[in-house]
Amino acid sequence: MIKSRSIFGLVAAGCALGLACPQPSRAVVSDEDFNALKTLVQQMNGKLQSLEQTNLQDQRVIQQLQQKLTETQRTAVEAQQNSIATAQAQAAAPRVPLDEATVNHNFQILGDAEIQYNKTDHQNGAFLLADFAPIFLYRGGENILFEAGFDFGLQNNSPNGGGYTTTVNLSFAQLDYVLNDYLTLCAGDLVLPLGTYSERSAGWLNKFPDNPLAVDLVPGTGVGAELRGALPLGETGKLLNYSIYGVNGPGSANGTGNAGALDLGGNVGITSGGSTANTHGNLVGGARVAFFTPFKPHYDLEVGLSGQSGEWDDAGKHLWSAGVLDAALHLGANFEAKGEYIISRYGSDDLGQIHQQGWFLQAGYKLAGLNLNLPALNNLELVARYDSMRDGLGTHTRRYTAGYIYYLTSALLFEGDYEIIRSSDPAQPTSQFILQMSYGF
Amino acid sequence: MKKIHPQKNFVALTLAAVLVAGLISPLTFRVRAEEPKTTAPATTNSVTPSAVSPTASTSALHKKLTGAELYSIHCNRCHPERFPTERTAAQWKTIMLHMQVRAGIPGKQSRLILQYLQENSGR
Ligand code: HEC
Repeated sequence: MIKSRSIFGLVAAGCALGLACPQPSRAVVSDEDFNALKTLVQQMNGKLQSLEQTNLQDQRVIQQLQQKLTETQRTAVEAQQNSIATAQAQAAAPRVPLDEATVNHNFQILGDAEIQYNKTDHQNGAFLLADFAPIFLYRGGENILFEAGFDFGLQNNSPNGGGYTTTVNLSFAQLDYVLNDYLTLCAGDLVLPLGTYSERSAGWLNKFPDNPLAVDLVPGTGVGAELRGALPLGETGKLLNYSIYGVNGPGSANGTGNAGALDLGGNVGITSGGSTANTHGNLVGGARVAFFTPFKPHYDLEVGLSGQSGEWDDAGKHLWSAGVLDAALHLGANFEAKGEYIISRYGSDDLGQIHQQGWFLQAGYKLAGLNLNLPALNNLELVARYDSMRDGLGTHTRRYTAGYIYYLTSALLFEGDYEIIRSSDPAQPTSQFILQMSYGF
Repeated sequence: MKKIHPQKNFVALTLAAVLVAGLISPLTFRVRAEEPKTTAPATTNSVTPSAVSPTASTSALHKKLTGAELYSIHCNRCHPERFPTERTAAQWKTIMLHMQVRAGIPGKQSRLILQYLQENSGR
């Protein structure tokens, strides 16, 4: 049954197909027509090809134009960015700090203050001196430093009393320019490296309330210029220290070449008469070399040799010269000994050659080194000093000093000293007792 | 002419005592150098002048020196040690330039000490 039905379907489909299909064999196309049509098709094909080519060219032009446009846009953006950057740079330039520190960090005040009680034999004890010695530091960048030290002193009575004096001194004012790791140029009112005492003598540094007599034989400061520095010798901390300087040098207090007119601290500014400071023709030169050797931390030895020479009187006839040998020794954190030997000589109109000479040796021992379990003693240092001076004009003075330092903190010192003075000058006291509070800040 | 001054003897005795103590102290130190060291940073204004700087090694100097060693070599020479915590890092920069010039410390050593001070200043 199923088979006969399919055959019938197939026949029906064949008939339908036969009806629907056109019969091409029936149309007639002449050769002429065919050829005309062929030419037409060929022409159209040619046109199509040329159009395609034109299109291709157009696209190429468009691409080029687009590329140009992108480039132009990029240039424009770059130009804009550049101008922004320039504007920013211009705007930022004044705000870029010289280094990471602001002005406030560049400036500092250090210094020290002292209060003394003094009892000289045959006199009443008194608070003798209040001293305030601030030091101003201005640092510019990595290698410029300006340092100035002042000394305010109040002596004798309160301000409204009779014979009071308040003194203000410029102790030093120098500009330091670090040229490299080994050399610094300093100029101004320089602390002179004649020995080491004046370079290292702030009140709280000093183990005694007064200076060794002999340091008065050489000037502590001078106006001029100096080159100084240090060279490491090997890797173990040994150093060679050096400095060389030129200053106005000592002058004459009254213009004469008399021995008593020598003024070590003079010759520093415009004189009251309006002439420049240097009252003699030539500048004065000086230098120091020193060798520092640490054996291990807190154990070291330093030995230095320094000198200065130049004319001192207005006429430039006489030389003033000085030489200083200095040494410092540390044996552990608790023992220190140091000393200087100082000689100076100068020519004079009235007394010929004057020979001056002096020395001091001082030592200190911190009782902390004894390792006793006594807190009070651990803060105590015992000190002793011998010093002597011949002023070349007939006075010979020797002094024996013994005392203590009580460290309330490492920078707040309470000192007491007893001095015995033996001098050929009868006007000198024979003994003295000094108490001092000293604060380094 | 010769006078007898009892005080003078007293002073001479003190001087002698100080000198003797100084000569003995290296011996005490040699013994103590064997003890272990504390590494705690120093405190501000420590009342006791420390016998041995906390960061210092007491061994002989042979290798390259560190900032801490250079600090203990130099910073106790001219005055009682000033501890790192006493100043801020920025303050130390100015003070170290001051000390470099004043104490004659070569630039490289000065920078090592500065680094040590700043790292331990706590500020
Ligand atoms: C060659 C001697 C010397 C050495 C070494 C030295 N100092 Fe000083 N120092 C001084 C003198 C002198 C002063 C005080 C006068 C001044 O500031 O001009 C001072 C002052 C200071 C002050 C200021 C405190 C005050 O009260 O005035 C600080 C802080 C200081 N030193 C830290 C150091 C440090 C840290 C070192 C180690 C690198 C050091 N010092 C090594 C000589 C020295």
